[in-house]
Amino acid sequence: MIKSLLFWALAVFLAPFFSALILKVKAFFGGKKGPPLLINYYTLLKLFNKGSVYSTSTTFIFKLGPMVSLCSAVTALLFLPFAGHTPVFSFNGDLLFILYLLGLGRFFTIAAAMDTASPFEGMGAAREAYFPIICEATLFMILILFYVLTGELSLAAYFSGSQPFGLWQVAGSPMLFVVIALFIILLAENSRVPVDDPATHLELTMIHEVMVLDHSGPDFGFIELGSFCKLFFYASIVARLIVPFETGYLALNLCLFTAGLIVVYIAVGVMESVVARYRMDRVPKFLLTSFALAFFATVITLEFIK
Amino acid sequence: MNSFTLSMALICCGGLAALVFWRQFLFMKTIAVGFISIGCVLGLIDALTKLLHPGPYAVSLKYLNQFSLSFQIDGLSAFFLVSIYTVSLLAAIYSFHYLNDDQKALRSAVSYLFFALLIASMALVVTAANLITFMLAWEIMSLSSFFLVIYDYESAENRKAGYLYFVFSHVGAMFILAAFGIFYGNTGSFMFTSGSTMPDSAKLAILILAFVGFGSKAGVFPFHVWLPHAHPAAPSHISAVMSGVMIKTGIYGIVRLYASLGLHTPLFGEIVLAAGMISGILGVVYALGQHDIKRLLAYHSVENIGIILIGIGIGMLGVSFGNPIMAVLGFAGGLLHVLNHSIFKSLLFMGAGVVIQKTGTRTIDVLGGVLKNMKITGITFLVGSLAISGLPPFNGFVSEFFIYLGGFKGAALDRTAFVMSIMAIVSLALIGGLALACFTKVFGVVFQGEPRHADAIAGDEKGPTMLLPMLVLAGLCFIIGVFPRLFIYLALKAIPISGLGYGHVPMEPFMTMTANITLAATVFFVILAGIFALRLVFYKDKTIGSAGTWGCGFTQPTAKMQYTGTSYAASILAFFRPAAPLQEDHPAISGRFPAKTHYHSHVDDIAERHMMRVVVSPVLWLFDRLRWIQHGDIHLYIGYILLAIVVLLFFI
Repeated sequence: MIKSLLFWALAVFLAPFFSALILKVKAFFGGKKGPPLLINYYTLLKLFNKGSVYSTSTTFIFKLGPMVSLCSAVTALLFLPFAGHTPVFSFNGDLLFILYLLGLGRFFTIAAAMDTASPFEGMGAAREAYFPIICEATLFMILILFYVLTGELSLAAYFSGSQPFGLWQVAGSPMLFVVIALFIILLAENSRVPVDDPATHLELTMIHEVMVLDHSGPDFGFIELGSFCKLFFYASIVARLIVPFETGYLALNLCLFTAGLIVVYIAVGVMESVVARYRMDRVPKFLLTSFALAFFATVITLEFIK
Repeated sequence: MNSFTLSMALICCGGLAALVFWRQFLFMKTIAVGFISIGCVLGLIDALTKLLHPGPYAVSLKYLNQFSLSFQIDGLSAFFLVSIYTVSLLAAIYSFHYLNDDQKALRSAVSYLFFALLIASMALVVTAANLITFMLAWEIMSLSSFFLVIYDYESAENRKAGYLYFVFSHVGAMFILAAFGIFYGNTGSFMFTSGSTMPDSAKLAILILAFVGFGSKAGVFPFHVWLPHAHPAAPSHISAVMSGVMIKTGIYGIVRLYASLGLHTPLFGEIVLAAGMISGILGVVYALGQHDIKRLLAYHSVENIGIILIGIGIGMLGVSFGNPIMAVLGFAGGLLHVLNHSIFKSLLFMGAGVVIQKTGTRTIDVLGGVLKNMKITGITFLVGSLAISGLPPFNGFVSEFFIYLGGFKGAALDRTAFVMSIMAIVSLALIGGLALACFTKVFGVVFQGEPRHADAIAGDEKGPTMLLPMLVLAGLCFIIGVFPRLFIYLALKAIPISGLGYGHVPMEPFMTMTANITLAATVFFVILAGIFALRLVFYKDKTIGSAGTWGCGFTQPTAKMQYTGTSYAASILAFFRPAAPLQEDHPAISGRFPAKTHYHSHVDDIAERHMMRVVVSPVLWLFDRLRWIQHGDIHLYIGYILLAIVVLLFFI
């Protein structure tokens, strides 16, 4: 339990570091040196040391939004096995709780955006409400596959100890579909290219960034930390699917897990460097691809088992 | 049975007393609300005791020396009684300050009479032990709610809504009557309990006919057409009762008949599940397209009836495929959602009622910033929105959690069960996401931002009796969401297990699940408290500024520029265009000095559109052709009746 708690704290602490990897990769493709790997820590410290300016249109919900969205991401990490180690909490059905908890975080992010009475933030909020609907359908499709394989409905049963499935194990080939589908979900849920561009400068084309335009200081720091944690959550799941090995040695497990994470974050960075952001009306088609992949994976795997 | 009868008598007394004292407006309201409330409290206590200590409580009396009126309270009845009395009690209290126009004193008094009749008849519907009693109570319920819907009868729109509701409830009743006819024809008995001896084909026919009849009351797609018309027309506390509990009597009817017939073919479970999925998804899609807040909430009732049917359908499939855990999870989830929906939906209707009363409009797109002046309404509405979107730690999540678990049990089974289960799970996920989108729209546009129209600025919230019920309901949403143990226990007690062929339900595994939900919610709150503490530390001695919203460089922002609910929902609706065709009226702007233009959009309900074409027009055509039969001569009418009876005698 103490160890699990330490790993959880480590996950929250390391999340900003890994996100900086993406920036490095993008800088490499751009032929630049890029910011230091600790850039996100500097940013967070800077934000936490500032004060805030609040819009006269806002209410207490505007202040509640960052707290709830950070809380949902951090709570989700409590249920996530770190490098195959047992998580702090786990029960049958905890994944349902986590997915809906992330939904709660989304509700408050949207509510905080609508609180500002800004037309741009409303536009971003509408998109934030729309795209995850398809993502959720995909996630539940993948969950059905995992459930049929293991008979369990918790992250600990899928990703801790000697993992029952992965890219190199039983049903490995359909698992490739799952990895791709989950990667698409990762991009969409964490507002990365090609769904959203965190580095864009035009408010009309943003999704997540435009929703947090009015937040400042520690509030904005919470939002940033929350999104790092959320990305870490999805990235660990994909990493454990790519590198599902249990060696018996903690140090080796940690190395493998880190390697998997680095692969995923670099993949996100490469994706951002070589692909342009999709037009808004093409995003649903992109996301539906992930649903189709997850659906095929489920159907194929069931044939294998029979 | 005594306290049940007493509560019934008190409620009816309240209604009658209102009619007697209508000239003293305040006194009339006090006495009516007082009697109805006391009756509801008594009934609630009685129902809870009977639910916790099950045992057949039955009473029977002769009616017209021919039929016996018999009533019985078992777990299922008691569970529905709990939600009927809870919501009716709070709605009665709410009405005290809501019906505040003393120019309409007589009308209010009449409405209290019908309100009392509605509560009493709903209680009778769920306790009726035979077909005749059920049908009588059902008709009283339909008629009393009809008179409540046309409370504001001056408006032609409301009269039309009432008419539509009248037609639907009676066509539905005809279907139920047909089902009961087959029932009686096969068993020769009016008792629900004697249903299990029929041949399977008759049982299936009864179930399907009854499903159509009950479905039209419950608002199952495509029989939901009356709902979005009737709810905006009725006063808000009536909408709360009708949407919160009255439509659930349809669900009660389906479960009661299913349990008493004991037909465990997968086909009926599949029908219920499919109807649930379609109602759930289309209900919320149409809700997204609405501009009228009460119409929007009415469509959400269609959605939630869908979720309840998904739960019950999973339960029925679990019974058919011999998987008791799946069956119990499905039924428990579905029944708990009945209670949960009655709580958060009445909360939302009451909140909408306060907003409408204080701003004078139901149009979402002219409202805005209501939260600033109406804190209690806003916060309780937020709780209701979170609960109806199925988000933890509120009650909607608990029932959906159980339905999900049941669905996943089914996904591990064989082919048919697998296919139905994955469809149910994915539909639930879609419904959850869409409901979140819809309620961020309502809450974001109505309660947040700035008022979009000068006339729609909300005044202060007044009327403690309107705020108190909303606080109680919001509290219930929270308590069920964090401590679901007792409520799952009640739902498990309500499952008519003997009708499903089970001896008893082991409580242990389900109590573990509720303990997990409590644990997860506690963890969430602990971490939230930690973050809040961190926030206090970070903001200690900091300068907090205040300025206008950043307009991305634009210096002259107005409230009119805010995103409207229509635009908010537009891209999601475009995705569902085949099912929700959008009608737009927007003259193009032309010339150097364009004239004033307007934009009007309307989402067509395909059920309504096709009902016109497929049902209404042919029926009108047929009746037009048969007009010669109706010539106005009373002697011939008597002749018709005699002839009909003579012809029928040949068939008996």
